[in-house]
Amino acid sequence: MTATVSRGPHRRFRGRLQHATLAVLGTLAVSAWLYAAAPNGLPVSEVAPGVFVHTGKTLALDAPGHDDIANVGFVIGARCVAVIDSGGSVRVGSALRAAVREHTPLPVCYVINTHVHVDHVLGNAAFKDDKPQFIGHAQLTAALARSREFFLKNYAADLDSPPGAEQIIGPDRTVAPGSDMDLDLGQRQLTLRAWPRAHTDCDLTVLDRGTATLWTGDLLFVGRTPVVDGSLKGWLAVTEDLARLPAKHVVPGHGAVSSELAAALEPQRRYLVALLQGVRDELARGKPLQEAVRDVQPQKSQWQLWDETHPRNVARAYQELEWE
Amino acid sequence: MSCDRNPWRNRELGIGALLLVVAAPFPVLADSQAPENGAWQPMRPQLYGTRDIGEVDDQLMSIEAPGTTPDPAATPVVLRFGGALVGRVKQVRVIIDNNPSPLVTTMDLKEGLPVDEIDLRVRIDRFTSVRAIAETIDGKLEMRSTWVNASGGCSAPPSAAAGGTLGQIRFRPSGDAKSLQISIRHPNNSGFQIDPRTGDPIPPHFVSHIRLSAGGQTLMEADTGISLSENPTLRIASSQPLSSPLTVEATDIPTQERYTATWIAGSSSR
Repeated sequence: MTATVSRGPHRRFRGRLQHATLAVLGTLAVSAWLYAAAPNGLPVSEVAPGVFVHTGKTLALDAPGHDDIANVGFVIGARCVAVIDSGGSVRVGSALRAAVREHTPLPVCYVINTHVHVDHVLGNAAFKDDKPQFIGHAQLTAALARSREFFLKNYAADLDSPPGAEQIIGPDRTVAPGSDMDLDLGQRQLTLRAWPRAHTDCDLTVLDRGTATLWTGDLLFVGRTPVVDGSLKGWLAVTEDLARLPAKHVVPGHGAVSSELAAALEPQRRYLVALLQGVRDELARGKPLQEAVRDVQPQKSQWQLWDETHPRNVARAYQELEWE
Repeated sequence: MSCDRNPWRNRELGIGALLLVVAAPFPVLADSQAPENGAWQPMRPQLYGTRDIGEVDDQLMSIEAPGTTPDPAATPVVLRFGGALVGRVKQVRVIIDNNPSPLVTTMDLKEGLPVDEIDLRVRIDRFTSVRAIAETIDGKLEMRSTWVNASGGCSAPPSAAAGGTLGQIRFRPSGDAKSLQISIRHPNNSGFQIDPRTGDPIPPHFVSHIRLSAGGQTLMEADTGISLSENPTLRIASSQPLSSPLTVEATDIPTQERYTATWIAGSSSR
């Protein structure tokens, strides 16, 4: 389905809103309602026919705008729409929903989360009224349960007020490693694959078969320092399998969309290998954790937000590798 | 995502019966840049009465921890003893003011033990002072403290190193055998975590006691608790090669399971 086809209903929708606005001009409460009902759509670009991506900003997690750091987007079929990741706040989720509405009147039937991290899931609540199926990795349910209180403590301001656990929505359907799930959007098939422990313990990729567009989630970072939250060795193993997928368009979890999957994965693979070797060297020399964090500094100049991310990767890798 | 930092605990249910109880909340310090004083205020009179505590000379004793921890679930804390204190410390306590279980450990050292560095890996719940109090064989007290911040992070992460054989003990010596890291495979469950599948608390299950001995003589004994990280890790360093063979015994709660292993200089593991 093309953007041209979907534009008509959108114009009608906006026209109705403008009409309504004129009718009640001056009534603050109603204006506020209209604003809440129709926020500006997130800017998206159509990277393949019917595949829309919003590119997140390169900001630290505690910076203003931290709720808009992940790549999020949607895929439009002939029957309905699948949203892939929902952003780091209900506000961003609502803006993503508005972007969907700017491109199609079709219902949102699936909201797919590529993993548990806050910048990819906290917008789920914005889609609740669409009554979609929420879909994620088989481990996502437990990962969200583990994180729910953490999100409420650290990211309450990114939920609607008053913040509550019911806004942190987990999957209705899950995908287990080894058994892909196919979703039919109407003349468009998505294949969801759950991966063993890598970036997190609940990484999921989405392949739009028709356009060969692969949404990697955070199994691929482009430009931004990769975060090792699952398993360093696991991620390197997954990278080999991931690189073989037939992708013509690659949508990473963070950073620019590209067309060569293996090439896009290579800088990250080199970083992960350097991290692995660096930490193993420290361990072999009997160096404690704090010295490894200080000493292991490969590729610093090549990555964004290094100081915010890399030391933790060393600490996590050290704890994983010290039991080898 | 940019999972820079991840606080550790899932839920503060209260304080375990075996652990020191923190009294009511305390007023925030006037300096808003400093963490709240937390547990130290009520603990000081309980543990040390009104005795003087030295707090100045970094040559004598120091404490080092990252200002912002790279991993709140496993934050390295380094204690160093210098000059007159080496071989003269009989007890060290480590306290994390704003943790649900503030007393990390009480370590008793054999008189004359030439240890000049002790490292621990601890859980940090939130912005806090971390302090160590050393008591010398002649009854003098020295305290050093530092601040550690734990904030941000993109989720409560999975364990960094789960699995393995419960109670497996791993030795990691430096090349010159003057330092030795001892790690014990153990979840060190606090009792505060919630099982995501059932919604029930995961029962406390943690290493409560660690003893180091050589030739039948106790060199160090430590009472430990849930503020030690998963896979509790202790590192000791000296200006001279460490005693060998060195035996480690660890006991956990509530099962009273005992885990033991012996390190022989020149071997690197188990």
